[in-house]
Amino acid sequence: MNDIIIAGIGGQGNILLSRVVCQLFMNKGFDVKSAENIGMSQRGGSVVSYIRAGDDVGPIVPDGKADILIGLEMSEAARNVNKVNKDSLIVLNDRFVRPKNSDLKKQQILRFFEENFPKLNIINAHDIAFKLNMPKAENITMLTLICKEEILPFSKEEILIALKQVLSPKMYEMNKILVEKIYERY
Amino acid sequence: MKKVLMGNEAVAYSLFINGVNVAVGYPGTPSTEVIETLKNFHDDDFYVEWSTNEKVALEIAAGASLAGARTVATMKQVGLNVAADPLLSLSVVGVEGGLIVFVADDPGPHSSQTEQDTRNFARFCNLPVFDPSSPEEAFELIKPAFEISEKYKIPVLFRMTTRVCHSNQSIEFELKREKRKIKGFEKKPDWVILPALSYIKHMELEQKLQDMKKELSAYNRIEGRGKIGIVTGGVSYFYVKEAIKGFEDLFSILKITVAHPLDEGFILEFAKDKEMLIFIEELDPVLEEEVKLILFENGKFIPIYGKRNSYVQFAGELDVDKVRDIFYKVLSDKRFLKKNTFGDVLQIPKRQAQLCAGCPHRSSFLIVKYAAKGQDVIFTGDIGCYTLGFAKPISTTDTCLCMGASITMAQGFKIADGSKKVIAFIGDSTFFHSGITGLVNSYYNRHNITVCILDNLTTGMTGFQPHPGTGKKIYGEEGRKVSIESLVKGIGIEKILVIDPYSDFTENVDKVREFLNNDQLGVIVFRRECANLKSRESYFKINQNCLKCRVCLKVTGCPAIDEDENGNIFIDSALCNSCGLCKNFCRYSAIEKVMVK
Repeated sequence: MNDIIIAGIGGQGNILLSRVVCQLFMNKGFDVKSAENIGMSQRGGSVVSYIRAGDDVGPIVPDGKADILIGLEMSEAARNVNKVNKDSLIVLNDRFVRPKNSDLKKQQILRFFEENFPKLNIINAHDIAFKLNMPKAENITMLTLICKEEILPFSKEEILIALKQVLSPKMYEMNKILVEKIYERY
Repeated sequence: MKKVLMGNEAVAYSLFINGVNVAVGYPGTPSTEVIETLKNFHDDDFYVEWSTNEKVALEIAAGASLAGARTVATMKQVGLNVAADPLLSLSVVGVEGGLIVFVADDPGPHSSQTEQDTRNFARFCNLPVFDPSSPEEAFELIKPAFEISEKYKIPVLFRMTTRVCHSNQSIEFELKREKRKIKGFEKKPDWVILPALSYIKHMELEQKLQDMKKELSAYNRIEGRGKIGIVTGGVSYFYVKEAIKGFEDLFSILKITVAHPLDEGFILEFAKDKEMLIFIEELDPVLEEEVKLILFENGKFIPIYGKRNSYVQFAGELDVDKVRDIFYKVLSDKRFLKKNTFGDVLQIPKRQAQLCAGCPHRSSFLIVKYAAKGQDVIFTGDIGCYTLGFAKPISTTDTCLCMGASITMAQGFKIADGSKKVIAFIGDSTFFHSGITGLVNSYYNRHNITVCILDNLTTGMTGFQPHPGTGKKIYGEEGRKVSIESLVKGIGIEKILVIDPYSDFTENVDKVREFLNNDQLGVIVFRRECANLKSRESYFKINQNCLKCRVCLKVTGCPAIDEDENGNIFIDSALCNSCGLCKNFCRYSAIEKVMVK
């Protein structure tokens, strides 16, 4: 489990999520490196983060080498399939934001993932974050659900520690409640 | 302690630890986070600010340095062009306290109008340039950069690229600041650069560069003993390391950390038993040209593969896969062939860059577009979020060149193609950065253009930095507010209109139409704070009145509005920022507000 890709659209909290995942791995004793595309990709644009553990590696995950692909948005996950292989673990948020001027359909993307990847997980982070009245916390909702379902090996306590290290005190308090609620209810 | 730091953060931490006294800069991706991080540090001998532009920043740094302070000026590669005037003079004049010019290059480019290579600027200015490969290395190199600057009394360029600036790495360090006493300014004739002195100092500068070569060479290193030599630097070093994994015996690597000046002896030592040299570097063939020159001058001729013979791309970024491709091309060794991936199975269309949902600029552009309907208009644009005014369906930006050029190019159009109306768009931060001088020129030379200042009360593109128009300083504390209207009036321009782009759309269109009627120099200030600065109290949704006419979607191009597979229009509640612009174009009252609980 060395290379992770997180793909989504601007505004979903991709960069922050990647920070938290880095912290989680670092707390487990890994040396981590990560990179992201930010800047002109404003809210609504494509955003991708790479997280890597290991020496003598650059920040960009080579094609076909990613062990895990986390898609905060499905078509963005699909955009980055070059980076994964048949054995990679795929975790998709059940959220589709159609790239404008395309006739891309959600079913089309789902079918593609189902046909090509045996290790596919679909997670309903968008709806749950909305129901818990924290629509902007889709990222941490996704992470919490991934860990709760033991797709990634981090406990609730470990998530909270990492969040505390990365977030401001105010943000931490809000997200702590979110994590607790998700563990209680979902 | 051990912490995950972004490259820019690592630089900031190291600057602080190594006793930087004055840190100044202008925001620009991918350089912004250096100052953003430094502002979190406090000490009685440390000062940090966002300056009005890069030239201002570097000149402040120059003054502080002559007074003995350790200083840094930060900017992106295009910002260095703005600061080129003081930099080229300062290289000749010299410095006192260590002065680092931090410049972030953007191969790709990810968010820039050019891909220029600051290592070339180093050759141009006769300055040493550090080019770290990773956040950790950047962290370690700040100390020697200051020391070289102080020892040789010369500014030092510290150049990083997007993939170093914006990558993160776990770094172990001790947060302990080196305290230095600032000795104060000492008057000397050296500081007044008259032509005769400049000639003498130019010779000194050339000598300094010769003198420091050996010392700087210690930061470059040779790895491995293979017969195929790879010369690389910056982030490309890691792409090379990863690409040759498993075949290390074939290669040896010359890792260049200080790209200029290069020490001939070290280069020749590396090249002496090589069968060939492959140059893996992004942007310009700086290492390739410098090394080739050294080899030629010393009568050494071996095959060279790089940009000049098209083995390596001139434009864009490299990555591990591209480097493997290069090795395959050069060596015809099938072991470097790329594996098959899923690339061609599913084509995902590119997401077009666009203004955020709820961006006040979208409304401002549409107001002007509707007001100018039926007239022959050229719209000049500028650098910032609002460059996206070019995107469909807004399509109200015909040109974009560099910071401040919308106002000046508009005057050029007026001179050369005077029958047309010319409307310039510029943001608030950019107006202060370099729009003012252009506006002065239009008044002085009687160029009758309309200038629209899109004031969203922040520097939106780079992450909401304050500027003179906000009146807030870097920590949010009170500075003095510069009023755009007073400034414009002060020039002598009388025709000024201030508009809230969120207020009644039709009324705004009428006001602007009337404003555009007589062909006089005038300024319209569209003022409304950036949608991302306000927490959302409501959002909009489509109700059952919708007749699927798609006008809301077609006119605004708002990213929050879309249609589903059955042609039903919907507003994405997670994206909507509640500006209500779309409501103006709905004839069926199908768009309604929903309050957030």
